[in-house]
This record gives sequence, C-alpha cells and structure tokens, in this order.
Amino acid sequence: MEKETPTKQPTLLLRIKEILKKREKDLVEMDRIAKMLVRRDLELSETREKREQELKELKESKKSLTQMLKEVREAQEKAEEEKNKTLAIIVNFTDGLLVLDENNKVLLINPQAEVLLNFKKEEIIGKSILAFSKLPQLKNLLDLYKKEIKKDFFREEIEIRESLILSMTKTPLKRGKIKIGNLLILNDITREKTIEKAKSEFVSLAAHQLRTPLSALKWILKTFLSDELGRMNKEQKEFLSDAYNSNERMIVLVNDLLNAARIEEGRFLYKLDLIDPGILIKSVIDSYRDLIREKNIKVEFKNLIKRPLKTLIDADKIKIAIDNILENAIKYSGPDGKIIISLKSDKKEIETSVEDNGLGIPEVQQKRVFSKFFRGANVLRKETDGTGLGLFIAKNIIEAHNGRIWFKSIEGKGTTFCFTLPIRKKA
Amino acid sequence: MAKKILIIEDEEVLISVLKKKLIREGYDISVAKNGVEGLAKMKKDRPDLILLDIIMPEKGGFEVMEEMVKDEELKDIPVIIISNSGQPVEIEKAKKLGADDWLIKTEFDPQEVLDKVIKQIGK
Repeated sequence: MEKETPTKQPTLLLRIKEILKKREKDLVEMDRIAKMLVRRDLELSETREKREQELKELKESKKSLTQMLKEVREAQEKAEEEKNKTLAIIVNFTDGLLVLDENNKVLLINPQAEVLLNFKKEEIIGKSILAFSKLPQLKNLLDLYKKEIKKDFFREEIEIRESLILSMTKTPLKRGKIKIGNLLILNDITREKTIEKAKSEFVSLAAHQLRTPLSALKWILKTFLSDELGRMNKEQKEFLSDAYNSNERMIVLVNDLLNAARIEEGRFLYKLDLIDPGILIKSVIDSYRDLIREKNIKVEFKNLIKRPLKTLIDADKIKIAIDNILENAIKYSGPDGKIIISLKSDKKEIETSVEDNGLGIPEVQQKRVFSKFFRGANVLRKETDGTGLGLFIAKNIIEAHNGRIWFKSIEGKGTTFCFTLPIRKKA
Repeated sequence: MAKKILIIEDEEVLISVLKKKLIREGYDISVAKNGVEGLAKMKKDRPDLILLDIIMPEKGGFEVMEEMVKDEELKDIPVIIISNSGQPVEIEKAKKLGADDWLIKTEFDPQEVLDKVIKQIGK
C-alpha cells in the first residue's frame, strides 16, 4: 500500500476547506436570495393588495359615476317634465297669460291671450308691447299696463270691445329681489258682467214697479188720514193708520233691497262733503222722537267733541248707516230701555257708539251679524218685522268711507255698536 | 187768475190724488201722461210750474228737460221732479238741466208736494 505522502493531506484539507467556504458562500448567497425573494414576495403582495384596493376604488367610482349620471338624467327628466307641466298649464290655462320683460318685450303669450286680444303669437313675440298702442283692441289694455304698480299687483276691468270685458291683473315677476318683468293675467268676465247688468236692470225695474204702487197707496192713505175726503170715525182712522204703517214698512223693505243690490253692483255712489257727523246723529235721533216716546225709551246723546268737527263724508249714506244702527237699538229695546249714543274723536278719527240694554245678539250668531239677511234668533221669536239688511248696508257704507265698524253684545243684557270715520278735509 | 200747473206723470192714482189736492188749493191743473204730450201741452198752455216724472213711456223726464233747455219760451218755467228714485247722480243731472226741486214719491206725501209748489210759485 502506498503510503500517503504528507504533502497530499494538506491539499485535501485545503480542498475541503475551500469547498466548505464555497458552500458557506453559497449558503449566504442563497440566504440573500431567499431574503430577496421574501421581500419581493412581500412587495408583490403589497402591490397586489394595492391593485385590488385601487380596483375596488375604481369599481366604487364607477358605481358613483353611474349613480351620478343616473341622477343627472333623472333631474333632467324631472326638469323636462316640470317644464312640460308648466307649459301645459300655461297653454291650457283658461285665462290669458302674457309674460313681458323689463323692456316691455313680449316673452310669452298663451293661446287664450291670442284669442282674447285677437293676435297671432308670431306677430307679437319678441316685440315691445307698447309698439301696438295704436291697435284698438290693445288701447285700453296698454293704458292700464303703463300704470305704475304701487302694491304687489293690481286688478282692473277693461273693455276690449263691445262684447268683451276683461279683468286684467298685472303682477311683477321677480328673481330674488330683482324685478325681471311683468305677468299679465287676462280673465274674461263678460258673462259675469252681463248677468250683473241684467240683475241690476231687474232690481231697478222691480224697485220702480214696486215703488209706484207703494207711493200711490201712501198718497191715498195720507189723503184719507188728513180728513180731506171727510171725517172718519176713530176705528176707521185706526185701520187706515195701520194700513199706512204697513205700507211704510214695505217702502223701507224695497229701499233696503235696492240699496243692498246697488252695494253689490258697486253702484252705491258716494258724494263727499265736509259734514259734522254730530249734526247727522242729532237729526236721526229727532226722526225717531215719536217712536222713542211711544216705547218710553230714554235716549241720551253724549257728544264729547267740544267744537264742531267736520270730515269728508257722504251725508245721505252715513245717515242711512246711523239710522239702521239706531233703529235696531230702539226696536230691540224693551219698555224703559236706555240708549246712549256717544261721539268722541282723536286726531285721526271720529268714533260713534250706540249702546242699548235691549235683547242682545246670541253669542253663536254673532259672527254673522253683518251678513245679508241676518236676523237674530231671539229677535225672530219676538217680532218678525225687519229685512236683515240694515247692518249689511251700514257696514258697507262705513267701510266705503275707510272706517271700521264692530260691536259687543250679551244676549239679554244689550248691545253696543261702534264705528269710526277717518278725519279727512280733502279727498 | 189762478196759477197753472202741468203734471206730467204716467201713474193714474198719483195724478188723481195730486190733482184733487192742488185744485182744492185753487190751482189750475192740466195733465199729460208722457213726455211727448207734456211738451205739446206746455207749449200750448204756458204753465207757471211743471211737476215732472222721470221714468215715463214715449219720452222720459230727462229728455223733456233737455228739450225745454233748448226752447227759449220753455226754459224758464220752474220744474219740480217727482220721481221714484233719489240717486245723487240723477238729482245732479236734473239740477244741471235746470230742475228747481226734487221729490221722491215714497218719501213725500201730497201735503209736502203742495208745500214745495207754494215755495216755487206761491198760492
């Protein structure tokens, strides 16, 4: 056997060492690679996660975007629908409508307005309405259109042609607080006006036809009662006197009906003069002297206005109002009743009150006191005379003078009616 | 000589009551039942006073007065309106046309008509 030489041994060792060293190096390298791989893997999973997150976000965004688009489309549809609805309302509106801008240019005219004004849309859209002032059908309308609006809107009647009466409402169109134009609403009131006219003619005719025989009766009965046709015995005179009084009541009824009809037609004309209301009150009290004595009622007039105070009023009409209020107080006062009429004033107005201790008005009926044909239930039980028009007429007269009227009443205790008249020296 | 009054009125009863009352007081009365007849009679009779109704067939009171104003011989005859109505516009219109007084039939009686007649032309 060949003996190993000593030189051979170190070579092997060296070799092993080298191998080991290499292995070590390989292991380090492998570790490095493994670590790198781990890191890569981590990075990769992070990236994936990030991607996934981004994808998720993208999906969310897409969803929101779709939702947003849907909403926009819906809003558009809704706006379109609203627009169509508004347009349908404008087109089918039974009144005529015209929209004008600040420079009086016509922006919109609906078919009814075209018919009422006898105009084609194409002829007027985009043009100033004032350019048409020479046309007869627009003359009255434009005179009114040019009027400045002091309130939020104004409404007036205009005759377009003989068989067409319109009520025109002019109202400003505003965006926020800025005025951007005007809206004109034209309402055909020809039918109402025709009926009103026919009604007014009927009432006038009826009143005239009724008044003629009533005056004839009055004059005949008065002639008898004055003994001009020979003396009558006491019984005959009493009967004729009753007939005369019934006839007088009928005259009052016809007058009340006529006055109420005139008020409703707006034909209750007012003729203003400078008058001291105190004088009117005195004259009304005087006219009831006989009845006051007959019923044994005490009537006191407390005029708290020291100097004569005149104001612009229609004396005849105010007298009717005072008469109606005082007549009720007398009529519904029992024997030994007491009526106090007071007159006072401040700088702005004159206030009259008529206080009685008569029947009073039932509480449940008090809301209807000023309505037409109102009669208190307690009054109806006692006597049937009266039209229920007196206070309706009084209220209309006072309010036409820009005054106020009100009352306090307790059934069985009495009633106080008050009304004011503003102090005016000039119309 | 008795003073002449022309009543222009279409209501028979009122005419007869008024006529009786005024004749009793010594006036000379003539009657017309509408405006046309009234204008003819006033031209012929030259009355001292006219009692004139407003609403009448043929020609109403306002038209009668419109014609009287244009006629030199008629325009100064005093006129008292006897009417069913007492609307201020109508009274105003009658005054402008020269009416001297206005009576509402349902508010006045024959005695008060007589008082107004005396006020205008005396007894």
